[in-house]
Amino acid sequence: MWVKITIALVGGIIAGIMFGEHTTLVKPVGDVFINMLKMIVIPLVFASIVMGICKSDSSRIGRVGAFALLFFAVNTLLTALAGMGVIYLFGLGKELHLVSQGGVAQAPALNFTDMLVNIVPKNPIAAFAEGNVIQVFFFAILFAISLKALGSIGKPVVDFFETLAHLMFKMAEYVMELAPYGVFALMAWAIGSFGVALLIPVLKFLLAYTVLAIVYSAVVYGSVLTGLAKLSPVKFFRGITEQITVGLSTCASAAALPVSIRNLVNLGVSENFASFSIPLGMNFTFNGSTLFLGMATPFIAYAYGIPLSAEQLVLCVILIFFTNFTAAALPSGDLLKVTVIFAALGLPIEGIALLAGVDRIRDMVTTAMNMTSNSTMTIYLAKRVGELDEAIYNAEPVKVTEGT
Amino acid sequence: MWQKILIAIGLGVVTGLALGDSATLLKPVGDVFINLLKMLVVPLIFCSMVMGISKSDTKRLGKVGLYALGFSAVSAILTITLGMGVVTWLGLGKGLHLVASGVQNAQAPSIADLLVGIVPKNPIAAFAEGNVIQVIFFAILFGVSLNRLGEMGKPLVNFFDVIANLMFRMAGIVMDLAPYGVFALMAWATGSFGLGVLLPVLKFLVLYVVLVFVYAAVVYGSVLVTLVKTSPVRFIKALSEALTVGFSTCSSAATLPFTIRAAVGRIGIRENFANFVIPLGTSLNLNGSTLFLGMAAPFIANAYGVDLSSQQLIIAGIMIIFATFSTATIPSGDLLMLTIVFSSVGIPFEGIALLASVDRLRDMFATMMNITANVTSATWLAKVDGSLEETKTFNEVATVVVEGETK
Repeated sequence: MWVKITIALVGGIIAGIMFGEHTTLVKPVGDVFINMLKMIVIPLVFASIVMGICKSDSSRIGRVGAFALLFFAVNTLLTALAGMGVIYLFGLGKELHLVSQGGVAQAPALNFTDMLVNIVPKNPIAAFAEGNVIQVFFFAILFAISLKALGSIGKPVVDFFETLAHLMFKMAEYVMELAPYGVFALMAWAIGSFGVALLIPVLKFLLAYTVLAIVYSAVVYGSVLTGLAKLSPVKFFRGITEQITVGLSTCASAAALPVSIRNLVNLGVSENFASFSIPLGMNFTFNGSTLFLGMATPFIAYAYGIPLSAEQLVLCVILIFFTNFTAAALPSGDLLKVTVIFAALGLPIEGIALLAGVDRIRDMVTTAMNMTSNSTMTIYLAKRVGELDEAIYNAEPVKVTEGT
Repeated sequence: MWQKILIAIGLGVVTGLALGDSATLLKPVGDVFINLLKMLVVPLIFCSMVMGISKSDTKRLGKVGLYALGFSAVSAILTITLGMGVVTWLGLGKGLHLVASGVQNAQAPSIADLLVGIVPKNPIAAFAEGNVIQVIFFAILFGVSLNRLGEMGKPLVNFFDVIANLMFRMAGIVMDLAPYGVFALMAWATGSFGLGVLLPVLKFLVLYVVLVFVYAAVVYGSVLVTLVKTSPVRFIKALSEALTVGFSTCSSAATLPFTIRAAVGRIGIRENFANFVIPLGTSLNLNGSTLFLGMAAPFIANAYGVDLSSQQLIIAGIMIIFATFSTATIPSGDLLMLTIVFSSVGIPFEGIALLASVDRLRDMFATMMNITANVTSATWLAKVDGSLEETKTFNEVATVVVEGETK
């Protein structure tokens, strides 16, 4: 799929350069793609949040749960802020001056209390119909908590929403099949109308993202290891190289799962603990994704010249937090999450086309970072509960290579 | 049932003539009936299409969908050509000598815009607005995805199965009210209808009705005789209940429950197949509308002394096809489409007023033609697909059973 998207991206750029303004002809193809993306947002968000909350097994997370959640929350906050900070620091995207088709949907300036009040829908069906993503989130969470409290009486409804969530994932897969055509059309149109200079900020974005991901991993995970776990970060990073390479090439943390577990066992984590903690962590260590979401939002807002208020940025962080419940297991899931956040903040969804073209490269970095954060958390937790054999951890790296 | 409806139509017309303007008092009864039917349209279309698709072989349905598009395209082109040809040939409207005030505000949407508009940005909003074509689009995607989920999709399949049955049961209750609703609607329509508005467009109307019957008899008749190999007379008889309801409600979407009942119960199309094809056809087979639009464009152009080149006629024809295909099926929707078609070739908008005054009368025949086109196409598709239970086709016993249920 990503090969097709890359071809579409290159083809779109070439077509844009060659045909200039005439490329508006293909724009409807892109519009169909964008409409379809928007179409799946509301049912997907609702069903997957309900499923996520109702199916989460609180007992299994157990004693490591509290720390894992804290790790998730702090890292989500930090990555989102770091991402936003970098965009604002360098003003990435400012030079784009894109114009949204539907005119800029300028959200009325709200003060913070109004915003909080407006999170609560007066009528959930109206919230669905208006596509008010934030209100849908709120209702979904309340709905799911109530449903979970119902216990076995609620079973048919849980099944219903679980199936609906799977169905929406399926539908999302079909929509994503159109991505190459959509990317081609939107890219050709964007280049044709705005010129090749459009690409420079996107490349800058990609570069900034990669650098930031590496710096963040080194600094934050490094200090978790040295400061909290009192372990050598160098040995850790060397020990996980193999799973990172697999992650880079497959772009799927799940595919690299066996390798991840083996790497951690080689680092001295007990096999039982590794095979429990790694799959669990995959469900909430999305630091790479949150970093990307944190960067993408102000980037596109800059590109379209839409000023984001402080309240909107706070909202954006909250949304990043909750969107990680949705579309977790999906290829290109992060693009869906961007769609959800843009829809909630009223940003032009066409902007996704800019990012979709380079999404594969972005996703490689994201996957690597997600895996690193998961492994860091596992090592630290293992150490805390006494499941880490430090003798193995500190042994010569030869041991590691042998293991692989 | 259809005899009752026919009696209701007759009584309604008599009452309308007798009471004149005071027959408007009966309108609320008719409105309640139409609202009841419309209340069912969105859930009925969605659930029945999802059911139809999720229980079928999607590859075969894909083929059926293409055939349906083909039938609809050919029939649309035929009706438009016929309408345009006859009006141009007769020079209808030339004697009216209307003068345009030169105000031409609305911009025609492009064909691409119309097509992009089929994809809903938010399916819940499409439900809330009753945007039928968007609901159909979402239902197809939803049904196909559900189909692919296989065993895992079981809870949803069961859910929609129950809801679809429930909606049909609810429809059954509403359908029993048809004679009263039809009576009130006809009394109101006749009573409030002044003969005065008829005169300028009388020729147009008469020609329209004649063409509707000729086209239906020739084209649908020959499809039924040669392709389906069945008797058109029995076909129309099986469809008579849906036709009379369509005639008095002027809405093929509102008539949907009657149409599905006729298709399954009297014609013998398999239920799952009908559940997919009939709602789809409601927005595909608008032959009554395309014939009208094809006639209206040159008619109004003639009335204003605007000369349409053959190129402009072709553009108008293409616009008609895409406009009817992508606009939600709403009553008097044809007038809305006229604005799209007129603005694309520069025919004065004011001309629409001329036709609007008699639109309800015209729409009665258009709706009947749309329903006939839809079911003809569905029957042919069912025959091709092997989903026509020929032993049951037009089986008198089946009819009796269905009649029995409604009482």
